[in-house]
Amino acid sequence: MPRHPSPLKSEMVQGTLDMLILKTLVLGPAHGQTIAHAIERGSEDVLQVEHGSLYPALHRLQNRAWIASFWGTSESNRKARYYRLTPAGKKQLVDQSSRWDQLVRAIGRIMKPAPQHRG
Amino acid sequence: MNWRRFFRRKAADAEQQEELEFYVDVTAEEYVERGMNPQAARAAARRKLGNMTRVREEIYGMNTITFVDDALRTARQTVRLVRTCPGFVLTVVLSLALGIGANTAIFSVVHGVLIQPLPYPHADELVGIYNRLTISGQVYEDAALSPGMYAACRDDCRAFEHMGVWSSGAATVTGSGDAEQVATVTMTHGVLPAFGIPASLGRWFSPGDDSPGGARTAILSNGYWQRRFGADRQILGRTVVIDFVPHQIVGVMPRDFRFVDLSPDVFLAQRLATNRADEFSYNGIGRLKPGVSVAQANEDIARVWRNWARNEGVGTLLEEAAVTPNARPLKSDVVGNAGVALRVLMGALGLLMWLVCANVANLVLVRAQARGQEFAIRTALGAGWGRIAREQLAESLTLGFMGGTLGLGLAYVGVRLLVAGGPANLPRLHEIALGPAVVTFALFCTLGTSLLFGTIAVVGRRVPCRIENTRGATPTRDQLRGQRVLVVGQVAVALVLLVASGLMVRTLLAIQRVNPGFTRPDQIQMIRISLPQVLAREPERVIRLQKDILDKLAAIPGVAAVGFASALPLENNRNGVVVAVEGVTDTTRLPPNRRYRHASPGLFAAQGTRLLAGRDFTWNDVFDQRRLAIVSESMARESWGEPRVAIGKRIRIGRDGPLTEVVGVVEDIHADGLHQPAPATVYARAGVETATNGSTTVRRAVTLAIRSSRAGNPAFLKEVTAAVHAINASVPLADVRTLEDAYRRSMAQTSFTVTLIGIAAAMALALAVVGVYGVLAYAVARRRHEVGIRLALGAQPDAVRALFVRQGLLLASLGGILGLASSATLSRWISPLLYDVTAFDPLTYALSAAALAVGAILASLVPAHRAASVDPMETLRSE
Repeated sequence: MPRHPSPLKSEMVQGTLDMLILKTLVLGPAHGQTIAHAIERGSEDVLQVEHGSLYPALHRLQNRAWIASFWGTSESNRKARYYRLTPAGKKQLVDQSSRWDQLVRAIGRIMKPAPQHRG
Repeated sequence: MNWRRFFRRKAADAEQQEELEFYVDVTAEEYVERGMNPQAARAAARRKLGNMTRVREEIYGMNTITFVDDALRTARQTVRLVRTCPGFVLTVVLSLALGIGANTAIFSVVHGVLIQPLPYPHADELVGIYNRLTISGQVYEDAALSPGMYAACRDDCRAFEHMGVWSSGAATVTGSGDAEQVATVTMTHGVLPAFGIPASLGRWFSPGDDSPGGARTAILSNGYWQRRFGADRQILGRTVVIDFVPHQIVGVMPRDFRFVDLSPDVFLAQRLATNRADEFSYNGIGRLKPGVSVAQANEDIARVWRNWARNEGVGTLLEEAAVTPNARPLKSDVVGNAGVALRVLMGALGLLMWLVCANVANLVLVRAQARGQEFAIRTALGAGWGRIAREQLAESLTLGFMGGTLGLGLAYVGVRLLVAGGPANLPRLHEIALGPAVVTFALFCTLGTSLLFGTIAVVGRRVPCRIENTRGATPTRDQLRGQRVLVVGQVAVALVLLVASGLMVRTLLAIQRVNPGFTRPDQIQMIRISLPQVLAREPERVIRLQKDILDKLAAIPGVAAVGFASALPLENNRNGVVVAVEGVTDTTRLPPNRRYRHASPGLFAAQGTRLLAGRDFTWNDVFDQRRLAIVSESMARESWGEPRVAIGKRIRIGRDGPLTEVVGVVEDIHADGLHQPAPATVYARAGVETATNGSTTVRRAVTLAIRSSRAGNPAFLKEVTAAVHAINASVPLADVRTLEDAYRRSMAQTSFTVTLIGIAAAMALALAVVGVYGVLAYAVARRRHEVGIRLALGAQPDAVRALFVRQGLLLASLGGILGLASSATLSRWISPLLYDVTAFDPLTYALSAAALAVGAILASLVPAHRAASVDPMETLRSE
């Protein structure tokens, strides 16, 4: 099956997708497609969410009780599954953000002489 | 692991699909808004999502519990397997069940008899104490202790916590009801403490009980206490009349207490007078102090013996007979020679298990090859090698456990049958059971075999990496090699078992050919009677009463002859005495030990033992107290060369005994069992004997031999009892049986071994034949196409037939050579069980090989014939 290559898809750091989903849900409940859009738009289309891994990730987060799901009605008035952040998820997000900041700073210090971004 | 999610994973999957479809819809709508046409938009949305099924599978996978899922899948596959190939499953499960069942059953016997410790606390500290002595080159391993040795050991040995001596016997209990003969063990006070099992009521014997002059005491076995005294708990302190002397009961032993391998009714205290140093007739038993080894104990006893000999002035006896202590673990005493037979059987059945395994592996291998196409397709569809291998192993394990469970059931039945009808002389028979150790063995057996044949199946079949066109291909050497190696091994193992069973059958035949030294044992009624002092005080009176009893018995209708002896054949009485032949034996050394019996006139006629020279004793000889003896043929030939020459010669019975004249020679009697050599025997005249110091003795306990065609018949026994009681009503009759019973009992172990090895060998032959057949049938099936073309090109059917028969014979001969070589190596294990046949008996080897060859030819004829009858047209048409 042909695929459109996404710029950073294959390099997305392990666990980052989980963090991004949690971050997106801070703004309020959303369904899968909205979450994917929000991530893509928020990153100015640098990060392409591979949907093949989005839904397993949502399922995983749900199993860990960081997010919860409910069936709601979409903007187009259709039945859709919405996800919302749980208190445990909020705490997790805080933890992950601070860890992420540390990681970025650490990597930044090493990579300083080199260009910070491709593309 | 989350059970809730596991059980609602189907519903969750449905929701997931709905959610994904919603995503596709929404994304497609978005693309339409951007100006795509609806169909292209939908396709693009799907592309963006990727493989929807994969996503669902991944999420489904998160909801499952792997091992439950695997187990469920295996169960489903098993059901499918049983449904689609019932023949295959039945064959595999049945062969495994037979193999595992037979092995588990025999292991339970081996465990009960050989492995399990004796049922005493710290049983490994218990030793039997005997002497090893050598008289004129004959070595006796089990010479018992003398009272003097006991006293010395008791007072001086440092190796033992407790030690004592004992002997088994019989006694008469009178008082309430009929006189009754009971089995007894007479022992010194140290014996029961050595066993370490406390009395359930009362106490053990104390040092006061076994000193001469003390009060007479007795301890009852639990069984006898219940039978005779109705388990009366007030029994202690009561008196019982044993051998016409009142004994006070001081204890009752617990229910499961067994004395070495005996279950006596009554335990008596042994009151030893330590003055007769040369009476070696007491079995020693001791409990080693913790940390003392058997070898150290033997050194310690040797030191004690030397001191004792110096103090008692019997040093020359020890040196002349080269007496050394021979203490050994009590277990080896109990188990005796049953160990050899059991190890051989365990080995035979182990080999059989290997055969079963090989056959099952072969079946599984053939099945796997038949499924080659299926595996190839599955590999192409993405199933990994690991997954297929795991599945094969799971299948093997499932089959194995089905077989194992059934086998355990078979073993349970087998063990029940064995204990109920097994050889009565197998020691510790009552301790055999399907305990946890046995079940564990069965489990390991099952796991081991399943993994073995499962692995062979996985390794033997290369997982094909592409879909092969197997229709026209002739199997390569490689594909058949695994099977051929298995079959060669099978043939070899089968031959080993055939040879073993052949040797055992030859042994049994040889034993049946042996002239036992008597005729028609089924017509010889044996009864043991004893006339204690209370009934007949003077020795002269005893022999009168014994003659009266014989006369009464002879008057019973149907009685052909009667006689008695101090012991009849197979009474396990190995009493011996040193016998010097006048003018032949070197008088400066200890003369050789001979079997010693007292025989009444008429005994040999009653037994059917032929008189080779001279005459039988007469009652005049008996009442005139003449010093006369009859010797066995082997004794006569050894001493004088010819039986005739022996008549009138003189022998000295005992070290300082009087000279005795030989009046007759009788044929040899295999008194220890048909499979044992006939001992050189001296028969002294029954009746009163006067020792050199003038004291007189008589045998008070004798066994009667009554020849009658009515032997064993209850009505006859009633008449016999009446005849004996007509002389004295207080005489109990003991050990009532025919000589035939006694012999069958002594042969039980050999027949048992022969039967089991025979069954194992028959199964092995069948398995090997099936193995050869299987490989050839499979080869023919695979080469059907090729054979068709050959025939079409003009090959003669006979040549095709010969091609396959030759293959079968090649496999069989390879296996045969291997098997003969292994038999020659392994058969020395079986040689202790053989009689009158060597472990390398050429006839047995030749016959076994021939049987196998015939089997192999028959097994290859059928597939060869099938190959020759392939229709070439059919082959060509199918192209």
